[in-house]
Amino acid sequence: MASEKEFVSLLNQHQKIIYKVCNLYMDSHADREDLFQEITLQAWKAYENFRGDAKFSTWLYRVALNTAITYFRKEKRKPAIFSTDTVPDQTEETYDPIEEQVKAMYTAIGNLSKIDKAIVMLYLEDYSYIEIGEMMGITANNVAVKMNRIKIKLKEDTQQQSANF
Amino acid sequence: MELDELKSQLKHKLATDHTGRSEEDIAILLTKKTNSVIAKLKRSLRIEIISCILITLVFAFIGLTSKTFAFRIYFSVFTIVSIAFLIPMFYLFKRTATLGGTAFPIKSNLQTIVTIIEEFIKRYFQFTMALLPVCFLFALLLGYHDKEPNQHIDSLAKSLFSSLWQVILFIAVYCILLSVGIYYFTKWYLKKLYGKYVSQLKECIRELTEE
Repeated sequence: MASEKEFVSLLNQHQKIIYKVCNLYMDSHADREDLFQEITLQAWKAYENFRGDAKFSTWLYRVALNTAITYFRKEKRKPAIFSTDTVPDQTEETYDPIEEQVKAMYTAIGNLSKIDKAIVMLYLEDYSYIEIGEMMGITANNVAVKMNRIKIKLKEDTQQQSANF
Repeated sequence: MELDELKSQLKHKLATDHTGRSEEDIAILLTKKTNSVIAKLKRSLRIEIISCILITLVFAFIGLTSKTFAFRIYFSVFTIVSIAFLIPMFYLFKRTATLGGTAFPIKSNLQTIVTIIEEFIKRYFQFTMALLPVCFLFALLLGYHDKEPNQHIDSLAKSLFSSLWQVILFIAVYCILLSVGIYYFTKWYLKKLYGKYVSQLKECIRELTEE
C-alpha cells in the first residue's frame, strides 16, 4: 500500500505542475478547483503503480494531462474561454510591449485544441520531442510536425490579434 | 513574435495565479470523490451488477417455486438472461477498475476509455433490444395461460374488436410501435449520456493519429 504521507509530500512539492495544467485547460476559478481535485485524486489512485522509473514530475504531467484532456466539465458552467487575466496586469500607465505579446501568445495558446495545448505545455517545460512523444503516445517525428504547425498557428493568431487591436 | 522568444515569460505566467495548498489541504482532497466519466461509469456498472444479482436471485426463486407453469418458464428464462447480462458487465467493470490505476500515454488512455464506453453502450443496447421479444413472447404466454380472465379487459376488448384478426393486428401493431419507440429512445438516451463525450475523445485521438 502506497504511503499517503509520502504521496502528499511529493504532490505538495510538485503542485505547481497541477496548477499549470489547470490554468491551461480551465478558465473559471471554480473549474480550476474541480480539475485540481480530480487530478489529485487520479494521481493518488495511480500512485500505487508508480515505480519510480520516470521522474515524479514527468509521471505527474502524464496523469494531469490525461485527466485534463478526458475531463468532462459540468454543463451548467460556461465553456472555457482562455483567461488572460490570471496574472495581475501592469498598471495602465506603464505599457509594456513584451507583456502585451505574452498576453497575446497566452490567448493564442488558449485557442488551441486540447491535444495541442498538451504538446505546447510539455514543450514549454523543455521536454524533448522524444519525451513528449512518449507521453502523448506518438512518434517524435509526429511531435516535431505538430509543433511546427502549432508555432505557425500561434504566430498567425497573435498577428491577427495585433491587427484587430 | 515566436513562441520560443516568449518561452520563459509564458512558463512564469502559467505557473502563477494560485494560492498554493498545504499538505493538510492535499490530504483532505484525497478523501473526496472523483467525478471522472470513468468513475461514474464504474459506479453505474456496480449498481447494475448488484441489481442484476438481486433480480437473478428473486427470479430464480420464483422460477423454481412457482406452481404456475407460465411463471416458472417466464422467471427461469429471465434468470438465464440476467446471468448472461452479468458476464459482460463484470468484464467491463474489471476493465474500468484497471484504468484508474496506471498512467498510460495519452493516446492509449483515450483509446481505452473510448473502447470501454463504446462496449458499454453496445452491450446496454443489445440487452435492451434482446429483452423486447422475450417480454412480448412471455406476456402473450402468461395471458394465454391465465385461467381467471379480467372482466374489465375482456369487456373493453369485446367493445373494440369484433373478430380475432383485429386482436392479432392490434397486438402486432402494438409490438412494432413499442419496439420502434424503445429502439429510438434507447439510442437517444445513450447518445445523450455518452455521445458528445465519446465524439470529443475520438476527435482527440484523430488529432493525435494524423501525421
